[in-house]
Amino acid sequence: MSQPLSGLRVLEIGTFVSAPFCGKLFAGYGAEVIKVEPPGGDIARHHGPFRHGKPDPETSALFLYLNTGKKSVELDLRTPAGLDAFLQLAATADVVIDNFRPSDMRALGLTYERLREVNPRLTLVSITAFGQDGPYADYRANNLVAFAMGGQMFITGTVEDGPVKNGGYQADYQGGLNAFSAASVAILAAERDGIGQHVDISVQQCMAPILEAAIPYYSYMGQWLGLRRGNHMASYIGIYPCIDGHVGVHVMARNWDPFLDCIERPDLRDDPRFVTQVERTLNNDDLLAELYGWAATVKKREIYERAGRMRAPIAFVHTMADIIESPQLNARGFLQRIDHPVAGEAVYVGPPWWMGPDAWSAGRAPLLGEHTDAVLRDLAGLSDADMRRLRGAEVTA
Amino acid sequence: MTPPLAGTRVIDLTMVWAGPFGTRGLGDFGAEVIKVESPTQWDMLRSLGLIPREIDHWYDMSAYFNHNNRNKYGLALDLRQPEGRDVLLKLAAVSDVIIENYRSDVMENLGLGYEELKAVNPRIVYVSMPGHGKTGPEAQYIAYGSNVEQLAGLVSVSGYEGGEPLKTGFSYGDPMAGTALIGAVAMALRHRNRTGEGSYVELAQRENLGMFVGEFVVDYSMNGELRQPIGNRHPHVAPHNRYPSGGDDRWVVLACEDDAQFAGLCNAMQRPDLLSDPRFTTNALRKANEEELDAIIAEWTTARGHYEAMHVLQRFGVAAGAVLTTPEVMSDPQLRSRGAWVSHTHPYAGTWEVEAPVWKLPRTPSHVRMPAPAFGQHNSYVLRDLLGLDEGAIASLYATGVTSDIPDTSLHQ
Repeated sequence: MSQPLSGLRVLEIGTFVSAPFCGKLFAGYGAEVIKVEPPGGDIARHHGPFRHGKPDPETSALFLYLNTGKKSVELDLRTPAGLDAFLQLAATADVVIDNFRPSDMRALGLTYERLREVNPRLTLVSITAFGQDGPYADYRANNLVAFAMGGQMFITGTVEDGPVKNGGYQADYQGGLNAFSAASVAILAAERDGIGQHVDISVQQCMAPILEAAIPYYSYMGQWLGLRRGNHMASYIGIYPCIDGHVGVHVMARNWDPFLDCIERPDLRDDPRFVTQVERTLNNDDLLAELYGWAATVKKREIYERAGRMRAPIAFVHTMADIIESPQLNARGFLQRIDHPVAGEAVYVGPPWWMGPDAWSAGRAPLLGEHTDAVLRDLAGLSDADMRRLRGAEVTA
Repeated sequence: MTPPLAGTRVIDLTMVWAGPFGTRGLGDFGAEVIKVESPTQWDMLRSLGLIPREIDHWYDMSAYFNHNNRNKYGLALDLRQPEGRDVLLKLAAVSDVIIENYRSDVMENLGLGYEELKAVNPRIVYVSMPGHGKTGPEAQYIAYGSNVEQLAGLVSVSGYEGGEPLKTGFSYGDPMAGTALIGAVAMALRHRNRTGEGSYVELAQRENLGMFVGEFVVDYSMNGELRQPIGNRHPHVAPHNRYPSGGDDRWVVLACEDDAQFAGLCNAMQRPDLLSDPRFTTNALRKANEEELDAIIAEWTTARGHYEAMHVLQRFGVAAGAVLTTPEVMSDPQLRSRGAWVSHTHPYAGTWEVEAPVWKLPRTPSHVRMPAPAFGQHNSYVLRDLLGLDEGAIASLYATGVTSDIPDTSLHQ
């Protein structure tokens, strides 16, 4: 089958994580994604970790991963010639993705109204921490700030040690995935009606409603405990250190019997403290102690495979080494070795979902400005004279 | 304006959080979503929320269920009985999308795999959302909410500096799978619009969440080094942390990504002396001396409320935010201004505030137009109006327990 997003042209003018992750998904599923980088490149090129720890704009793991399958055009949108070239590209595109503050987009002259003038079919997807309107619309933010303001930080960690963010750039990734799905819906409408729109993604607003049951319980029942539960929602839902790492148990009432069989503790079945889930909750600390004792005697992969056979809900905390060695992920083709002319070969995860074997094609990340000439001449229709003008103004490298 | 998914009928076999969260989004943008629940094994979210069991319709009152199932119709149907399976196939023949999140062998065992559905409707988009995927040596393993993030690799890089790997504060993989589902369905519908072909979509929840730590996989494969958790700090940027503010268990975060933002911070704290302090003149020096810098910042934040610190710092151009609690998220002026929470009335549960659809598509806006279905509320709409079954056939489905207006509550007393 042909790729599901083939025939779409996407311009990405965002930097770092959220907009690039959105653009990466478009590229993987078959859209032509043109990444417009400022002079010097996306800031992710200047963030590590780098290959062998040596800073190089072509070997940042963060950049390499987030920009697979894209073309790179180096263009200074702050100059009139650069902006003109971009608008000519926008006239040929279906989607523009950005993650600048509204005031920064206005300063560039890149409002939705301006883009609509050159291309009424265009879908503009803006990813910001707070959205296009409201009192904080132009507040500065990054992953840390969005994670705090979206309510997820307060519930993460322990009461004693204070709120903590999750690893990596989770708020930014949430913004990128929400933007991709929202854009996909907007594209259906644009292709049906021949008219685009300005899709407004606030990362804070995407994050706030998904605090598990916290919003319904507070909003409907007026209940809010204000706790952080660390690694244990309860003794039977949590993470325990084992011999060579950490195991995670998630035992619902109906899993109790197979769980006890798997951990070889049939004696607990008759223990009056643990007969029902309610009793297990009431005697939480006793069960916690039993499970700490058990986990300290097991190896992570052995117990995971035994639990899998016995239908007991026990997983283990996969390190990056475990991911790369995972029999499951390897069997499914989720780990792909992709070569790069400067960074060399590395392992890339993907796709996020499958639509047959050919729907996803990752490709490699582009070198900075690798496609500047081809894109501006062939797609934006720039002449030799135009190209000289851009270069003369040092708009493009 | 016509919603983007108007005219799209979705059969929703999913339960609990990941699936229903995603299908709700399809309903928000105009799809007709029909939630199918077995009279005996219905969505267990209906049982949560400490609802007294003696109240009439207690199983229609769960706020958690009602939040995640607005904009859906409700059909009670036992797929394990041949008559129930027949009804589902009839419904599939007049639907566009079917979505399930059972363990990976369940649908095939019911005789409701992709091939069977495709036989009655070649244009159908069939989505499975298993934990591990439909194939591979671990396909049949159980993976509940908290397991998904462990398998995805996220937990191993999360935690306090020098601490153990740490779980997220919720079943993070669930809403991320639901969010991805909407994009996957829209993409498959676009493919069908262009080619006339249906498709089979497989969304393995551990793979979907694995995409959120992909840079760590590239890094490990290039450098062979396992990165340890670093709490609220950043590998290259300082200051970048969470600081105590006034009040009990209240906190503020801030980060300075360049010299201009650091100057803003020093000026906001009325400490211009720090700008020429040899420990802090470049980002690299600030990173090397961040313990000392954090202590200076904490002294300033402790004397202020978290919102106050945020607003002051923002006026000086510093990226800063209050660490909002759940009640604060619901009262936050920005989210209020965005209309993030809307009053909602359900015939059995009453009136309270729920989240509005979170994405703004101004030309084709989403709507909260229907409360979550009471159990079996739309049996008649689906069986009689959509499928054209006669009264005798419908009565027979009720008599054999294939459908019901009342759920079997024996498992949830």
